[in-house]
Amino acid sequence: MRIEKRQVEDKPLTVIIEYPEWNDTVDSLVRKIGMMDISFVGRIDEKSVNIGLSDIYYIENVERKLFIYTKDNVYRFDGSMADIEKRMIDTGLVRISRTCIMNTDYLKEIKQIRNSHLEAVMDNDEKLIVSRKYLPDIKRIFKREGI
Amino acid sequence: MKRILRDTCVLFALTTLSVFVISILWMGFTDEIKLVLYLFGLSFVISVANWFLDEFTSLPIIWNYVVKYIVAATLVLFTGFMVGWFYKSNFWMAFIYVGIVFVFAYLIDAVKAKRDIDFINDKIKNKKQKIAQ
Repeated sequence: MRIEKRQVEDKPLTVIIEYPEWNDTVDSLVRKIGMMDISFVGRIDEKSVNIGLSDIYYIENVERKLFIYTKDNVYRFDGSMADIEKRMIDTGLVRISRTCIMNTDYLKEIKQIRNSHLEAVMDNDEKLIVSRKYLPDIKRIFKREGI
Repeated sequence: MKRILRDTCVLFALTTLSVFVISILWMGFTDEIKLVLYLFGLSFVISVANWFLDEFTSLPIIWNYVVKYIVAATLVLFTGFMVGWFYKSNFWMAFIYVGIVFVFAYLIDAVKAKRDIDFINDKIKNKKQKIAQ
């Protein structure tokens, strides 16, 4: 299998799969890519917006209300943590505490504050509290990616 | 090595369970069997308490261990008095038993967490380097 990638500015992320004949490998590949292409409907200023997985930095539960945080905006999500967890299998999303799900694609670093808590520093320098019990789950995502 | 240790623990648990089932059927509940069953029940209750603490509190690591230590020591003390493990004169033994277990757990957890954090940060670094190339 040959992998080609090229940057095309001002266009959405596009994956083209060329195959000599449709077989199980192609089918599995298409399904896997399809699973990565998930989005959530969020609300901002009374408007509904489709938020792609690749735009999400983290999702937080604040007083039983869910909020999706992207680089510049915060959207209200009318669903439960369980709804999100059902859809985040094989994605970069991972639960890091009882109230927060983080996108590991935007994770810059994990820090341990001496004898205190764990902190996830995101690419935009935002800091999220990580529960120690979810650390193996974050590790599993990076192990899976096999970088 | 990790897998061998894990398999050893599972095998040990299964062997103990089999031997105990046969012993219970053969001789009934002897004091030794009761002791192991009490320890199993106590471990279960402590694990449930720890689960609640992990799930519903977000204390700093050291306080998390202190609270867990107090909860576990209280449960051991309570069970100990109920089933006659301790006398009023030596109740402090519960704190020592639990303390030893907690010191080991804390050390293992601290080393494991450090290793996991290093692993994750290395992977992030590699990923960023690959993207930059």
